[in-house]
Amino acid sequence: MTAATVESHGYGALAYLNGFLAGLERELRELRRSPDRLMALVTAPMLTLVFLAIMLHAGRDDLASFAVLAPALLVLWQMALQTSGDTVESERENGSLEALVVAPAPFPAVITGRITAVTAVSLLGFVESWVVAWLVFGVHVEIHHPSVFLGAVLTTGYATAGSAMALAALFVRTRAARAFQNSLTYPFYVLGGVMVPVSYLPDWLEPLTRLVFLSWSSDLMRAAVGPEPVPDVALHLVMIVLLGTVGAIIGGVLVRRALAEIRRTGTIGHA
Amino acid sequence: MTALRDVDLEIPEGEIHGLLGPNGAGKTTLCKILSTVLLPTSGRAEICGYDVVADTAAVRRLIGIVFGGERGLYTRLTARGNLQFWASLYGLSGAQAQLRVTTLLERLGLEQRADVRVETFSRGMKQRLHLARGLIGDPQVLILDEPTTGMDPVAAQEFRHLVRGLRAEGRTVLITTHDMAEAEAICDRVTLIDNGSILATERPSTLGTWITRYARVRADGVPPERVSSVTAALEALSGVAAVRESAPGTLVVDTAADGAAPEVLRLLLELGITDVATTRPDLAEVYLQVIGKRGMRVD
Repeated sequence: MTAATVESHGYGALAYLNGFLAGLERELRELRRSPDRLMALVTAPMLTLVFLAIMLHAGRDDLASFAVLAPALLVLWQMALQTSGDTVESERENGSLEALVVAPAPFPAVITGRITAVTAVSLLGFVESWVVAWLVFGVHVEIHHPSVFLGAVLTTGYATAGSAMALAALFVRTRAARAFQNSLTYPFYVLGGVMVPVSYLPDWLEPLTRLVFLSWSSDLMRAAVGPEPVPDVALHLVMIVLLGTVGAIIGGVLVRRALAEIRRTGTIGHA
Repeated sequence: MTALRDVDLEIPEGEIHGLLGPNGAGKTTLCKILSTVLLPTSGRAEICGYDVVADTAAVRRLIGIVFGGERGLYTRLTARGNLQFWASLYGLSGAQAQLRVTTLLERLGLEQRADVRVETFSRGMKQRLHLARGLIGDPQVLILDEPTTGMDPVAAQEFRHLVRGLRAEGRTVLITTHDMAEAEAICDRVTLIDNGSILATERPSTLGTWITRYARVRADGVPPERVSSVTAALEALSGVAAVRESAPGTLVVDTAADGAAPEVLRLLLELGITDVATTRPDLAEVYLQVIGKRGMRVD
């Protein structure tokens, strides 16, 4: 075969961007046609109803924000586990992994795009919770510090996507996605302070909870909703971003290692 | 286990090259190494001068791969949606991507179903979409791993026509297949591979001479009660190597000397058997002879 002119031998920034955007767009199209993958969003309004009914019946209107925030954070984590976590494994099962790996756009960029799309969609859980509280119970949970709340949501979205990258890599390496998906839900709800603030948990658990970005997120969001000044905003935001970045780096490294390993061992494409 | 051993193969630009061999022979492994899906443990392979291990990114821009079977497509997306996704991965955007996608859908005869979900497609349509996906990056080299698996004869015929068109465009095609007629019909050269080693690389017509370089005569419609007597008469002719009944009423006469075939034809006509023809061993026969009749056993 004769030599051909090829402009570059490595991946450029444009190739990453192409891969990211292609993954993002495809995931959004698929999600639109796959209601089964959006089941978590169906559960959010119901959970809001249950939590809010309990709070209001107990006369704790002051805890309404807890009841509204919890379902939104549950959806965020559940979709990270169930949908984002499945991104690599689903390509393998679909038989498309090989073609994706040899496409000019880097595979991790495609996966990042897909995970970003899922995370963005899962943020709709916040809207659902607020709307259900207002429409069904007439409860309007006011956000007293909107800029802090917005910052918390955006950084939490970033950290969720980063953690999902690590999960996706973990699932494809261990081939035990279902086991992890089942076992990483409630422990993270508890350690992340999703339903109950981590300050309500036993003291000895706190160091562990601080390794989970959701604990920083839930604390900051709850504080941003209340009228009192929000303490340590910067610390919370930095910790959320830091833990999310750690997850993204670990995920990126694991994905690359997994791809290199399966290219060597020949197990690529085995469903 | 060694999947490939001492493989030495050069495919010139613009050639359609067939890889033939039984299941487990190493065909797919070779395709996967060339397409950078798999890393070879040793040895060297180049596509257009680029090493498949050292220059992976460059190789990936030059190749298109089509692995057989129904899997690998996003069935909840439309055919157009699938191709748009792959076009983005190959750096095409906007009008350029639209044009490439539309052109390929038309070329593969999928324009009427372009906006229908792939999950409703027949196997043949999926295979055509696979080929469109393989062509989305306008590759110089196309690697097709059993691309006609599951296609009906009409679709397979269309597919072969398409592959010939790719050659006319100057593309190089490496195709693995179990279909000897397909290999004979479209390949400039074929490589027989078994147990990870290359047995031969030849033009399909040349491979037939491995069995015999002399003409072979085939007679159909021999009455059953006359098969023995006609066989005996043929065997008595000078230059006839063997006579066998390949099917009820069909005799195949192998000659072993120049000029023997006309004598065989003359005798058959004298005996009143008029449905006769001279033939050469086809690729299927060569394949069976070289690879061996191993049945369903995988070595």
